[in-house]
Amino acid sequence: MKRAILVKRNDPRSEDYENELQMTELEELAGSAAYTIVAELTQTRHPDRKYQVGRGKVEELAQLVQDVHADKVIFHNPLSTMQVYNISEICRCEVIDKFQLILEIFATRATTHRSKLQVELARLEYELPKARAIISILKKEERPGFMGLGGYEDSYAQDVKNRISRIKDELKDVERDRDSLRSFRHSKGFSLVVLAGYTNAGKSTLFNLLVDESRTVRNMLFTTLVPTTRSLDVEGREVLLTDTVGFIEDLPHWMVDAFRSTLNEIFFADIVLLVVDSSEPLEKIRRKLLVSHETMWEQLQEVEIVTVFNKSDLLTEEELDERMLSLGYLAPNPVAVSSRTGFGIKSLKQEIRKHLPRWDRIQLSLPLSEEGMSMLSWLFDEGVIHGVDYSDSIDIDLEARENILNKARSFALKK
Amino acid sequence: MFNIIAVDISGRHKANGYYLMVCAAVAASVTADHVEKVKQINIRYFRKNSAPDVQMVVSMMEDTVSEMNFDGTVITEPGDMYNRPQWLIDSMFTMDFKYEESLSERRCMEIAHHVSLSARKLLLKELDIQ
Repeated sequence: MKRAILVKRNDPRSEDYENELQMTELEELAGSAAYTIVAELTQTRHPDRKYQVGRGKVEELAQLVQDVHADKVIFHNPLSTMQVYNISEICRCEVIDKFQLILEIFATRATTHRSKLQVELARLEYELPKARAIISILKKEERPGFMGLGGYEDSYAQDVKNRISRIKDELKDVERDRDSLRSFRHSKGFSLVVLAGYTNAGKSTLFNLLVDESRTVRNMLFTTLVPTTRSLDVEGREVLLTDTVGFIEDLPHWMVDAFRSTLNEIFFADIVLLVVDSSEPLEKIRRKLLVSHETMWEQLQEVEIVTVFNKSDLLTEEELDERMLSLGYLAPNPVAVSSRTGFGIKSLKQEIRKHLPRWDRIQLSLPLSEEGMSMLSWLFDEGVIHGVDYSDSIDIDLEARENILNKARSFALKK
Repeated sequence: MFNIIAVDISGRHKANGYYLMVCAAVAASVTADHVEKVKQINIRYFRKNSAPDVQMVVSMMEDTVSEMNFDGTVITEPGDMYNRPQWLIDSMFTMDFKYEESLSERRCMEIAHHVSLSARKLLLKELDIQ
């Protein structure tokens, strides 16, 4: 395990509680990337242009790096190229910021070709604005070309740009397939339900329980990196349930393509199940809900949201009620569940059923013939048959979406 | 259901040598994810010679909201208050105040923003200010 020191600069006007939460999250992220945290440093001040924290603090950090034999220094605050260079010159060890740490996690967990491309793309996009500076720092002793008038900077930046456009092209093909699949599913009348929420809220555990699968679940941030879709039977209605990548605070979501695909899933959804870990302190849940609302809000168009208070088995009934009540203004249609014990799954399904796009219910008679039977079999696939009575004709009690009903009506016996 | 008043100010830059600002307040009842009913919209304009500071922004908002027939928590975007912490701004208001949080509050803020922006454009056109 690599040894890391965590550093955070707090804004002078910021609140202590928020700073603590952000530090805890950084600890969890470092833990997910398999780092052992050997020390933590914080400083309250305005940002320093050269070092982010103060010069004295960087010297203290350098001493600490030597004392505890740290392999890496991880900053919570975003660092510029010059800051990374200056700090690593003094500390003599690798320095990264939170965004790079997240990219590292993504890189180690990326298994599919698509997710590898996404990680590579995010890394390059992050690197591009810094590419010129990195090269001019690295090659400052060396001036190529006649009388040192040439330069490495432009050619390197151009290389990065070329690689970005190549990866984007490749990803576009994969994305096009996925998009067409999604719109195909929608046009076929499948209702789409999406599990969304802050990272480590228990989305995948809930997904496994609902669709009876065994996707990897761990008490770790960013276990899920690629959205997965399975079909789910909700009181007779077949829906498609998608498990997505979790949100995180202060991350430029547009940058990581894995997040973009999550946001696309939300854009197409009929219902979003917003999962929260209800066992956490109230303020922490509120902040995480806030980040989720902020991330999703641009994407939402007439979508129903059901808030799932997960891990409810870790709380008493009174505690749970209190949390649901005080978060009412941020948590639409709340349902308490426990993915571990299975508590509340029935009421969750009822809640999903309640918010699914409306289907109409009619009674009609089909001819008792071979065509009538095949029509009935098709209707069993496309809608919900509440009752069938075989007499001179096939009398059915059918619930389905508008175009299926129209088709069935045109085939039905005129009375 | 919660009663809120979303407030937004447009025009915090000099035009013709002074600041012509329009404040729009939208009173609505909302749930966590939907705006149930917009009950009233009030618009007021302010002409100032200096750039607005936080206190001035608070007083413009209070003036606009005080003309409304409905009560509710005043909601703004953090940027409108120069990203000052909520407790500080809350102490400056005489009514309940908080920053936008839920989806419905953001939607109401969007309405207030469009109203104030359009009203100011109309005003500039009427006054023939470029």
